[in-house]
Amino acid sequence: MPTQMARALAGEITPEMKRVAGREGVDPEFVRRGVAAGTIVIPRNRRRKNIDPVGIGTGLAVKVSASVGLAGEGDTIEGEVAKVRAAVEAGSGAIMDLSVCGDIDGARRAVLAATTTPVGTLPVYQALAEAREKYGAAVKMKVDEVFEVIERQAADGVDFLALHCATTWQTLRAARKHRRIDYLVSHGGSHLMGWMIYNQQENPLYEHFDRLLEISRRYDVTLSLADGWRPGCLADSLDAAQMQELVVLGELVARARRRQVQVMVKGPGHVPLGHLKATVQLEKQLCHGAPYFVFGPVVTDIAPGYDHITAAIGGALSAWAGAEFLCYVTAAEHLGLPGVEQVREGVVAARIAAHAADVARESRAVQWDLEMSRARKALDWDRQIELALDPVRAGALRRERSRGSHQACAMCGKYCAMKVVGEYLGKEQGVC
Amino acid sequence: MTQLLAAREGRITPEMEEAARREGVDPEFIRAGVAAGTIVIPKNRLRKGVRTCAIGRGLRTKVNALIGTSSDRDDPEMEARKIEVAISAGADAIMDLSTGGDIDGMRFLSLERATVPVGSVPIYQAGIEAIEKRGGIVAMTPEDMFEAIEKQAAAGIDFMAIHCALNFEVVERLQKTGRVTDIVSRGGAFLTGWMLHNRKENPLYEEFDRVLDILREYDVTLSLGDAIRPGCIADSLDGSQIQGLLVAGELVARARERGVQVMVEGPGHVPIHHVETTMLLQKQLCHQAPYFVLGTLAIDVAPGYDHITAAIGGALAGASGADFICYVTPAEHLGLPTEEDVRVGVMAARIAAHAADIAKGVKGAWEWDLKMARARASLDRAAIAGLAIDPALVRCYLEKEKGELCSACGDECALRLVSEYFQQ
Repeated sequence: MPTQMARALAGEITPEMKRVAGREGVDPEFVRRGVAAGTIVIPRNRRRKNIDPVGIGTGLAVKVSASVGLAGEGDTIEGEVAKVRAAVEAGSGAIMDLSVCGDIDGARRAVLAATTTPVGTLPVYQALAEAREKYGAAVKMKVDEVFEVIERQAADGVDFLALHCATTWQTLRAARKHRRIDYLVSHGGSHLMGWMIYNQQENPLYEHFDRLLEISRRYDVTLSLADGWRPGCLADSLDAAQMQELVVLGELVARARRRQVQVMVKGPGHVPLGHLKATVQLEKQLCHGAPYFVFGPVVTDIAPGYDHITAAIGGALSAWAGAEFLCYVTAAEHLGLPGVEQVREGVVAARIAAHAADVARESRAVQWDLEMSRARKALDWDRQIELALDPVRAGALRRERSRGSHQACAMCGKYCAMKVVGEYLGKEQGVC
Repeated sequence: MTQLLAAREGRITPEMEEAARREGVDPEFIRAGVAAGTIVIPKNRLRKGVRTCAIGRGLRTKVNALIGTSSDRDDPEMEARKIEVAISAGADAIMDLSTGGDIDGMRFLSLERATVPVGSVPIYQAGIEAIEKRGGIVAMTPEDMFEAIEKQAAAGIDFMAIHCALNFEVVERLQKTGRVTDIVSRGGAFLTGWMLHNRKENPLYEEFDRVLDILREYDVTLSLGDAIRPGCIADSLDGSQIQGLLVAGELVARARERGVQVMVEGPGHVPIHHVETTMLLQKQLCHQAPYFVLGTLAIDVAPGYDHITAAIGGALAGASGADFICYVTPAEHLGLPTEEDVRVGVMAARIAAHAADIAKGVKGAWEWDLKMARARASLDRAAIAGLAIDPALVRCYLEKEKGELCSACGDECALRLVSEYFQQ
């Protein structure tokens, strides 16, 4: 069966496009046209059963993705599934299983079963882990083995695959020549580079890109073209390696589209505030309007422990500038692996960023804020909590921080501005 | 003599020198900024032992934390602890917004505990005492207002939020255009109620010179309160807000004429596509006076996380010209913050300010991140913790994560191969 993109190009409005349109409150024809043009993707593996399709791209609400995965000895599949549940409950629009060790097949299948959101993976992690097991070193991985793992993951129903196809020798040379500060940022990208250096070969995902497209086409897996050279510090932002890779990524986007494979592009990373707009504009320009899936970006390097906040700043401004998909960053980033609570908090921070951008793009999103503001004016606490982006936390804080306060809140107590002015401006007084 | 008058005479005061040292700029740059009114140094003439905090163009973006008792929670010791928490988290200034219990006593405690400039909002005390003495806020007399200002200035307050830029032009604009959340400033609400009830112009506007005379005597920096700040993104950049800015602009010019240092307070709830315009308008209409913003909050719907909505707005506001960021805590819109809320609020605001400083090109901002990048590239954990905005938190994580580097691939480690390639 043809891919969503092929069907869109043929003028067909698929059930997935209809569902996306219904969710977003846009015309199904708008979605079809976006998918046909490649400015919208609907990551949905043909084999995936339990999915409620999500559209990502121009003209749609900004989406959030949360990453989980087995990363060390203490991690269990149950533990990661608990994180998936927490992320989805907090409103994550997609999940990525980035397992790098242990029962990777089992984890992936459990994640796919645990959520109806699109699920993405990074298959090179598994290929590397299996090579390590088999040969004693990841760099001894065979090219065929990479594609075997990609096929295996696609056959399981994974909806989008992150692959560092453009991390080529040309980009490595650019990084070395221009003295990048931090060259080991992307885990998958770095390992691929190590493989390339050890084997003195070109990146197989670049060299055999058509083989990859063949698999993607067969399962209608959306490609998420990853950036091995995403900047890992502000000083590396928009450097030669990043730009070289983006140029190559643009070529690969065009090639994927020619084969009617849905494709989006992954982005940084660490980006100073003043580079955000340019970063997004360059991706849009060089990658022909492909949806941009950014990681944060964090706007400063110096706030480990608070990178959900540095990422909320960067995410809001990037999405306002045109990025459509935000990968969350948790408070544990740069320090360790997130617990369930940090996963939840990370999703909320990314959703705040996404909504701030949606509001700025003057979409219908602003209606939500208007309803909240009316509830505030009316001092209608039940409604305020109900409308809150995270009602559980808002409710808990209201109880804890305003104990004993009834009508207003403990901040102003009796002297609530809303109450004082309501009277004199002749408006109806809100009551709880 | 105020800092402003000294600067105009060409004198570089010890405070200007200290500010210059802290910022790594030339003292003459500070003097010129103070003289032009683009920089203020909030420091009451009577106040001793305060870390100088210059605020304005070309300087590091500063962060303010709010504390204070309320009618629902009157625990001065807890508020004093919050001051300590805020300062150790890196707040550059604090404001005591007490409205409950012994307001004078709390102010005394704040001034005693704070090693940074302290601000206040005298109309709170005037209004609340009027309820006790005269039976209502609206029964407050103009004398009550001026007495509160004088009393607080004499106590050593360094900067005061006073809602002088609220007059009938603004209130009428508000009534005509209508708003979703009308007035959300507490001081603004007190005064609007007073004006409408008494059918009299705001005494703080009408007798502005009297306000200036008191402030001048003590060199209290005037922070023109934003009575009309938008309380939701739908009200941002509406007619009343702009009307308020026009009045503020006039008053900035008058304050400067009288030798009083002045900054302007700003919003509030501002969608991110309004932030740049808001900053530009303030700078333009208020003659480049330092801008002191509350947040700004990028959205209305995230109670419990308004330190994050404010970090988004604050970073962008700072990058677009705001000089002073008032923190917002996770308790905002829900209740009074705890000490932990205060700490998190200060951290979030500092992150925003620093992100802005990088964009503004403030001296040393970029270098801080560069040092961190190098520490990370060389996996120097002690340096990473030392450079972090919250070193204690990072050390706590690193103690938990004592993991050694992966050794699964031995000599054929991919990452080592890459490192060797780059070190060739």
